[in-house]
Amino acid sequence: MSQKMSCGRPGQFYPALLHLDKGRRLMSFITFENVEREYHVGGHTIKAVDGISFGIEQGTVNVVLGQSGAGKTTVLNLLGGMDSPTKGRIIVGDQEISKMSEHELTTYRRNKIGFVFQFYNLVPNLTVLENVQLAKEICSDPLDSEEMLTKVGLENRLDNFPSQISGGEQQRVSIARALAKNPQIVLCDEPTGALDSATGRKVLKLICNAASSMGKTVIIVTHNALIADMADVVIHMKDGKINEIRYNDSPKDAEEIIW
Amino acid sequence: MVRRSLFAKSIRDMQKSKAQFISIFIMATLAVTIVTGLDSVWKTIYDNSSAMYAATNISDMWINVLNPSEKELWSISRINGVEKTEKRFTINALTGLEGRPTLRIYAVSDQSTLDRPMLKQGGLSSRSGAILDVAFAKKHGLKINDEVAVKVNDKWVTFRIEGLAQSSEHIYSVKGTTSIVPDSGKYGFIIVNEEMLKSIYGQKVYNQVCLKLSPAADVTRVEAEADKIIGDDLIGIVARGDDSSTNNINANIRQFKTLATVFPLMFFLVTALITQSTMLRMIESQRSQIGILKALGYTKRSILWHYTSYGVYMGLLGAFLGLLIGPNFFGRLLIPWLQLSFTDYRISVNLVNFIFSLILILACTGGVSLYACLKLLRDSPSVLLRDKPPKEGSHIFLEFFPKLWNRMRFSRKLIARNTLKNKMRMIMSVLGITGCTGLVVAAFTLCNMVGGIARQTYDITYTYDQKIILDKKADYRFINNLRLDGTIQQMEETAVEIICPDGKRTMKQLTVFSQDSPLVHLKDVRGNPVLLPDNGITMTRKLAQTLNVKAGDMIELKRAGKGYVKVPVRQIVYLATGQGMYMTDEYFELIGEIFKPTVMLVKWAHQPDRAFLDSDYVDEYVDRTSQIKDVKSSTKVVYIAAILLIFMGGILAFVVLYNSSILNFSERIRDLTTLKVLGFYQKEIRSLVLTENILSVVLGSVFGIPVGKVIAGLAASGLDDQMDLLSKISFGTVALSGLITFVFALIINSIVAEKMKNIDMLESLKSVE
Repeated sequence: MSQKMSCGRPGQFYPALLHLDKGRRLMSFITFENVEREYHVGGHTIKAVDGISFGIEQGTVNVVLGQSGAGKTTVLNLLGGMDSPTKGRIIVGDQEISKMSEHELTTYRRNKIGFVFQFYNLVPNLTVLENVQLAKEICSDPLDSEEMLTKVGLENRLDNFPSQISGGEQQRVSIARALAKNPQIVLCDEPTGALDSATGRKVLKLICNAASSMGKTVIIVTHNALIADMADVVIHMKDGKINEIRYNDSPKDAEEIIW
Repeated sequence: MVRRSLFAKSIRDMQKSKAQFISIFIMATLAVTIVTGLDSVWKTIYDNSSAMYAATNISDMWINVLNPSEKELWSISRINGVEKTEKRFTINALTGLEGRPTLRIYAVSDQSTLDRPMLKQGGLSSRSGAILDVAFAKKHGLKINDEVAVKVNDKWVTFRIEGLAQSSEHIYSVKGTTSIVPDSGKYGFIIVNEEMLKSIYGQKVYNQVCLKLSPAADVTRVEAEADKIIGDDLIGIVARGDDSSTNNINANIRQFKTLATVFPLMFFLVTALITQSTMLRMIESQRSQIGILKALGYTKRSILWHYTSYGVYMGLLGAFLGLLIGPNFFGRLLIPWLQLSFTDYRISVNLVNFIFSLILILACTGGVSLYACLKLLRDSPSVLLRDKPPKEGSHIFLEFFPKLWNRMRFSRKLIARNTLKNKMRMIMSVLGITGCTGLVVAAFTLCNMVGGIARQTYDITYTYDQKIILDKKADYRFINNLRLDGTIQQMEETAVEIICPDGKRTMKQLTVFSQDSPLVHLKDVRGNPVLLPDNGITMTRKLAQTLNVKAGDMIELKRAGKGYVKVPVRQIVYLATGQGMYMTDEYFELIGEIFKPTVMLVKWAHQPDRAFLDSDYVDEYVDRTSQIKDVKSSTKVVYIAAILLIFMGGILAFVVLYNSSILNFSERIRDLTTLKVLGFYQKEIRSLVLTENILSVVLGSVFGIPVGKVIAGLAASGLDDQMDLLSKISFGTVALSGLITFVFALIINSIVAEKMKNIDMLESLKSVE
């Protein structure tokens, strides 16, 4: 696979093989193939995701864009192995996760996925440092927690509890926690949704740096179209289907985006 | 309109947390059931016996003296406090019926007003008729107009049954010489007219003076003065409450009163704790709803009542259901086992105590809900409508031991912090498990204690094959010469009047035999063999406790036909059942008595000598094996009680642990979901919640052991003045109880784990609190 794209640096090239061609071998790191997810609610059937296919390259920053109900959260859940498709295949690396059992999915999530939540979801009964050190307990190859926290600029907050730090700081802890697991993929669910724009930008910058400096594949789910300018690839969803896939030649730096 | 919609909300809220509210309801019901149930046992006994005492005009005192003179009777009636005196004749007599049962004969005048029989059928119409014990008659198929023959003064006399009745002196009716449990087939009473004595003794004889005292009379003083009046002829004085029947009834009442007060406390406490945790959680989760209600203009009072009502409904429902179940269940279950001779009795309900427990339960449920709600209502609607501030984290004491803390795994640290910060929840679980283990330990201990009675008394202490009551005319030297084929031990059993150091007078059993005792092996409390001292009297432990006597005290003993003599209490022995006093025959003669054996113990070398047993020397005899069977059957009720205790312990453990787990889980559902998303396995998440349960089980089990000992002690102490139970906790009991508690916990853990499997990760993460 050709080298990944880091966001914020104009003029980079990106691999041409991002589309799936029927009959051609799958070359992407993550592949969705005709994925459907149906829910049965009170007699009705809702198709949260209705036959979508796309591929994601390693080391890229991707944004899944859409209004509420578009199906983007479902895509995130499917990517994270928290849900399984009713039809179709999902392939991550050399594993077909759509066919995995719950235990296997948990193992997949444990080792390969880092998650950043909209509402930070830190454990209130653990200090900042301990929240990140959680990763050590489940990961086979974790990164140093203190180093991660220094990277996100929280080296002075190690002994505080989440209730004692601001929202932005909590989100940064969340990112440090996600990164400490040393995952291949970082999934972010509206990471800036609960933050003001200045803080949000700082957070986004951190996330994108993960892709560039650490080679992680980042997927951000949001309804904020302005964030999309930051990404290498924008997957626009509407009513459970993919509306369009856009490739940014020159993704903007996080600091340049204002919303 | 307002009320109805709020009420509909209550119903829906309760349905949502169905498990919690059902738990509150179950606990409240259980608490009130136990109170009303135990209460109804003693109240039923009390009401029925009191009614019977009043209807039969039972005496307050009986003085045993042979042929009291008119002067003595007159002097006694003049004692301050004595309202009425009557005389009668009473003696135990063999009958000719199958099994050689005994009847206690009461020969009274037709003008007697004291100790009347409670007629069930017929009545005395002639001077040669008799009124027979109705239970005895039933056992032997006797009806009115049948005849029954008794052997008195070596003569056989026949009576025609003219009436069947119950006697208030025989409510708990035990013969004493050969058995310790009531058996209406072996022992009953018969009332005849005093004129019949002429045909037996040639004249009217009397051996008892019955006294009715005024309510304010000083019993001890009356006894002392009567003693002085009668002097050396006195055999003994028995006050009401000292005779076996009333004594047993009083003991039962006392014991159930104690149990009814102490026992349910635990359940009330647990009810309060569960309500507190449930309502607290619910009210906190309904923060915004309360804010909305306030903003909409609902008054503070109506919101308060709304939330208080949850607890109140549960408390009311539980209390009334408890009132319904308690007396019926406990009453019908336990009263028959007490072997009282009431036939048709109605279960009485102690309404006063029920009102108390109702108030208490409402305080535990409604009061607690009110308190939980009051705290929240202080905030303004806008504050309530805003999000709840995030949970505060704080350091716990364990962190002050960095060497330990830093080496702990994160899941452990999380469990530690979570547990220590939610002290209420932990207290509730530990309390519940303590209760459960306590109940289970008590159950097993009671069974052990009671199972040990037969062994201690009839295996270790007594080793005879048969206990033979000798005919009064039998000469023991003649019997010695018979050279029976076995080991013989002769004893004299007699009831003597004693005066204790504190002035209390009573009649107790004295057994006299030689120091060389091949078939009676008295032991002390520790089980060491004890020889009868030849310079004083020996007393059993329970009796000494009852009379407030200890080794070294002096008691006064009334000798037959002579005055009192001071004897020192030299030794205390332990006998599980059948309390009394012992003396060597040498010492007996030393103090001026004459040793005349009334009982013979025999251990046959080969076959029992049938010819001897059927001879005239023998009045009756009993096999040790049947005595053991009697004891076992009379204590069977304890096994039933034990099952009840274990059952209640199980309910307690289930309810408490289940609630605690669900609370633990739902308070942290967000964190647990996060961890699941982060990649924690189901197993690891489960242990985060359920480890706390294991902790409380371990702690609770440890605390539960002394609690169980106390409960067992409570239940066993009041059983009977005749029983002396040692509450020993064996290692096996503890291990078994711990195991059972553990099994309960495991079952709950797996139930909760099932519920936890269905964490919807997606839902839980989306919504903010």
